[in-house]
Amino acid sequence: MATTTAPASRTFTGRDALLFIRDYAVLLLIALLVVVLAVVSPSFFSAANLMNIVNQNVPLAMIAAAGTFVIISGNFDLSTGAIFSVGAVVAAYVAVETQNPWLALAAAPLCGLLLGVLNGVAVTTLKVHSFLATLATSMVFSAIAVLITKGSLITVSVEGFSTLGRGRIGLVFYAVIVMVVFVALLWFLLNRTVFGRHVFAVGGNQHAAELSGVRVSRLRLSVFALSGLAAGLAAAIGVSRIASGQPQVGLGMELDAIAAIILGGTSINGGIGAVWRSVAGVFLIALIGNGFDIMNLNPQLKDLATGVIILAAVGLSAIGGRRR
Amino acid sequence: MRRPHSMVLGASALAATLALSACGADGGGSSDGYQIAFLAASSQNGYSQAVYEGIQQAAEDADVEVSVKILDGQFDANTQLSQLQNATTTGQYDGVIVVPNDGPSLAAAFPLPNEMPVATVLAPIGPDINEMEPQVEGVTTTVAVPPVEAAAKQAEQVVDYCAELDPCKVVLMLGQLDTPLDTARREAYEQAFASHDNIQVVATVEGGYDRDQAMTSMANVLQANSDFNVLLSNADQDALGATLAIEDAGIDPSSVFITGGGGTKEAVENVKSGRWAADYLNFPVSMGSAAMDQVLNALEGREVESYVNADEVGGTEPYATKETLGDFVGEWNG
Repeated sequence: MATTTAPASRTFTGRDALLFIRDYAVLLLIALLVVVLAVVSPSFFSAANLMNIVNQNVPLAMIAAAGTFVIISGNFDLSTGAIFSVGAVVAAYVAVETQNPWLALAAAPLCGLLLGVLNGVAVTTLKVHSFLATLATSMVFSAIAVLITKGSLITVSVEGFSTLGRGRIGLVFYAVIVMVVFVALLWFLLNRTVFGRHVFAVGGNQHAAELSGVRVSRLRLSVFALSGLAAGLAAAIGVSRIASGQPQVGLGMELDAIAAIILGGTSINGGIGAVWRSVAGVFLIALIGNGFDIMNLNPQLKDLATGVIILAAVGLSAIGGRRR
Repeated sequence: MRRPHSMVLGASALAATLALSACGADGGGSSDGYQIAFLAASSQNGYSQAVYEGIQQAAEDADVEVSVKILDGQFDANTQLSQLQNATTTGQYDGVIVVPNDGPSLAAAFPLPNEMPVATVLAPIGPDINEMEPQVEGVTTTVAVPPVEAAAKQAEQVVDYCAELDPCKVVLMLGQLDTPLDTARREAYEQAFASHDNIQVVATVEGGYDRDQAMTSMANVLQANSDFNVLLSNADQDALGATLAIEDAGIDPSSVFITGGGGTKEAVENVKSGRWAADYLNFPVSMGSAAMDQVLNALEGREVESYVNADEVGGTEPYATKETLGDFVGEWNG
């Protein structure tokens, strides 16, 4: 009688566990924080608070999601905060001048797209490192924001201007819907299109990508344009929320976005990464802030806790990587 | 051959930028009259711009010719210290007015290499942030208010409001708790509440002098403390952001006691409309004018006030309520 042997099911080894930790450190820390906060504070694990956290971080999540393309392609965009500022003050300015809220809010992403293209042109034509090029353009863009407002702020009291930032259907803010759609589109673009494959290829080995026929300059211009568009769209939501355009509103946002992207697990060297990772990175940092405010912990310790948790996430990834 | 082309482009852009910058420069030191340097905490900041406006108004009203050049401190203590050292060393200026980013660190520029009047606005120069008389030799006048004293008076308004409430739940929102100024304010608030058992500080958060951050912080606080009675902030920008979060939570702002600090036009409107109960007013335009007046007094050999109480320059009660505001509309946007 012939006997058949069933294939032995593969057991989950310690090595697999380390690989899992390496790949999903950011999700593990989010889960850990959610559990801890839910246990410690009864106010944390409510639908209202979870939606609150998501809504608050929509602009940063959108910038980080698009910034993922920039980092994966081997570049940096240090101008997203400044583009956010320009987009916000342009939207506020247009709103006050035209009294048309939708024209004003549309001006922000258009402005962001234009400035993103300028970034791309600067990087590809001047042949300087994107770090330096976007550092320089961020100064130019910041100055533009200051010149538009003359250093002050533009308060908007036009009806309908706050709808995008503060309106909601039930518990769900419009801004969250915009973010979900935007992030889904970016995920599709990165993972399901030729453009996305080229982004990975250029970040992994630019020379090889060039030899394979990838038009590297055009691709780099495109990723900066995308990053600018995201910053502009985020600015439309941000300025709609607080109904005022301030030249310094985007200050430091570029570093927050890059921190979230890297924290999520996208490689700072390019070639590796994912949109969902960057969004997860944003919400990991957001959870810390939310927890501090809800539990009335000393705000002076917030940066300490954030730094330790970022180190923990990076450390977990590194441990898994070394043992692989 | 692309690199030379890029270099030409870059050089052309640089030359054009420098040419434009030169066209926009004031050309300080080249004309007759007094040359005054205004060291702004940041030229991108509404408060500094308002102080600058007051300085310019006083310069126009002066019976001598005065030109003013604004220098951008970029919210950086070291940048501003360098600017102060340069302004008092080069001989380009006859006087200096500064809105300090960090008063204690600016003391390093004294004694001055060239004697000239120096006025400080909003905060003193020297180690003690509550001492308004000159702490270092060379400071001519301080146009400010002791921050702890102002914070204590704000807290007194809260104590009065809470008198009939037990418990009275208070949310404290400070600008930046990594600065000595806001840390001192926090201590003053807490000290004022310490002897009132009915007052519970249910949350202390940072607003960052940023509406969006303040809105986020308040939205978080409301998740656990939607039954709060008082929002006490030292900054209008923060109180304005927090008010948005309060409204989003379905709470009528006028049903709780909200007070900010700064006297921005929007804050004044909020007090007048009853959405806020009170505001601690600042008068940056008037403060800038007062500083310029004292610098000119020193330059012209007239009597100089070493301390100008900033609460008294605006012509209205600084601890404002709807009843005290009258026609006052605020001196700045922030």
